[in-house]
Amino acid sequence: MSLTVTAPQRTSRWWSLAGGVIILVAWHLAAKWMGPMMMATPFESLQAVPRLIASGHFLEHASASLMRIAIGVSIGCTIGFALGVLAGLSPQLRGLLEPLRWLLMAVPPVIVVVLAMLWFGLGSPMVIFMTILMMVPGMYVNTVKGMLQIDPQLNEMTRVYRFGFWRRLRHLYLPALTAPLTAALVIATAGGVRLVVMAEVLGAESGAGYALANARSTFDTAELYAWVLLILVLVAALEFLLLQPLQRRLSKWKEPSHA
Amino acid sequence: MLEFKQTRLLYASRPVLEFVNLIVAPGERYGLLGSSGAGKTSLLKMAAGIVLPTSGSCVNHYRRPALLFQEPRLLPWRTVRQNIEIPLRAMGLSKSDVQRRTSEWINRVELMPAADAWPGELSGGMAQRAALARAFALEPDLLLLDEPFSALDPALRATLSEMCSDYVRKSGAALVCSSHHPEELVRMVDCCLLISNGHIHRYDINAEDPTSSARTAHRLHQHLADKQAHTP
Repeated sequence: MSLTVTAPQRTSRWWSLAGGVIILVAWHLAAKWMGPMMMATPFESLQAVPRLIASGHFLEHASASLMRIAIGVSIGCTIGFALGVLAGLSPQLRGLLEPLRWLLMAVPPVIVVVLAMLWFGLGSPMVIFMTILMMVPGMYVNTVKGMLQIDPQLNEMTRVYRFGFWRRLRHLYLPALTAPLTAALVIATAGGVRLVVMAEVLGAESGAGYALANARSTFDTAELYAWVLLILVLVAALEFLLLQPLQRRLSKWKEPSHA
Repeated sequence: MLEFKQTRLLYASRPVLEFVNLIVAPGERYGLLGSSGAGKTSLLKMAAGIVLPTSGSCVNHYRRPALLFQEPRLLPWRTVRQNIEIPLRAMGLSKSDVQRRTSEWINRVELMPAADAWPGELSGGMAQRAALARAFALEPDLLLLDEPFSALDPALRATLSEMCSDYVRKSGAALVCSSHHPEELVRMVDCCLLISNGHIHRYDINAEDPTSSARTAHRLHQHLADKQAHTP
């Protein structure tokens, strides 16, 4: 087993910046072409942001959405992770869960929203329920895959030295799963935001999605795009301020240290 | 006591060990020899409880067995010190005992400058010394060695073998050690077990007779060479 790890080349920041500029230019041109009723330009959307924040309902909607995202994503990911670890250890459980995994991955989220509206009515329970349901399979699949790739030699070592389940989880499974799990978390968080907003558009009386639907029905295009901008900022903040630092911290051992 | 009773082990319906009967009492030192794939590692893994016999039984009454593998098998995301500490904590030792034993063994294997390094930064010899410290810090009453030094250069191999012998002599632990080198093995053990076609043949070494080890090593060598000559 080779323990030396060569770091892959870092993503080029300058090219990321260029990619961002291209999107803004394309957005601007599209907005100019379609007209203000159909699409606000990036600058108009940015101008609408302070107006939106100053309006009385912003905090109510934003906090409702954030709460749903936090609860839905964290519970969904925890369930997916826990089931993934157990299924990684037991081929029987893995077999048992396979049809459910397939079902949840194949069913379109919008169908789940419609069904959840029937069961829970409009509002937070429906949004959170569907977010959890849609979060579980992605996290589960990544965890199982990671569990099956754990070095069997290290597994044997932990059994020889009589590590209990929790010690194995902390010192073997979790560190070995860092790479697939953080990647899955980035996807899950972004997916969670999208799902919550979609569910709110379809069946909630508060939240960013509800406000979006409202702005659309009143033809307030600038406010609609201001909401879109804020949602993008939220996803970026979660990814760059929370998940990427976490990933770097957990893979410290791959970099040469002081010794 | 470690007891194999009519133990059979099959791998993919191919017999590896056939009706093995063996008792390893406290303080006894056994050497395992045999060509690659003869079943030395399987026997040690059964003793450590990570492989179950196909039939018969393997019962280990030792409370602190330690198995030193061919590879160091250190957790790459834990420092050398943590790698030694974690099994001690799994044993239920107090924090101060864990720290004391860890520091003591890091010193003994001369890894003090690398105590806080990641395993990926160690040379092969350093990593195997860390694995040795991890095993010995447990103060095992049964030491199982699976050719742990085969990948190291002869000088380091001699030093580490001597360390193992020294530990076993002083602690009175039982030892089962596999190797490819009869000459090195006969110096560490009281009895050599040659595994051939799944069966075990005993070669006792008479401690009173100074020429006994050399003669046993010679006989074992011959047997291994014969076996190799007859293998198609």
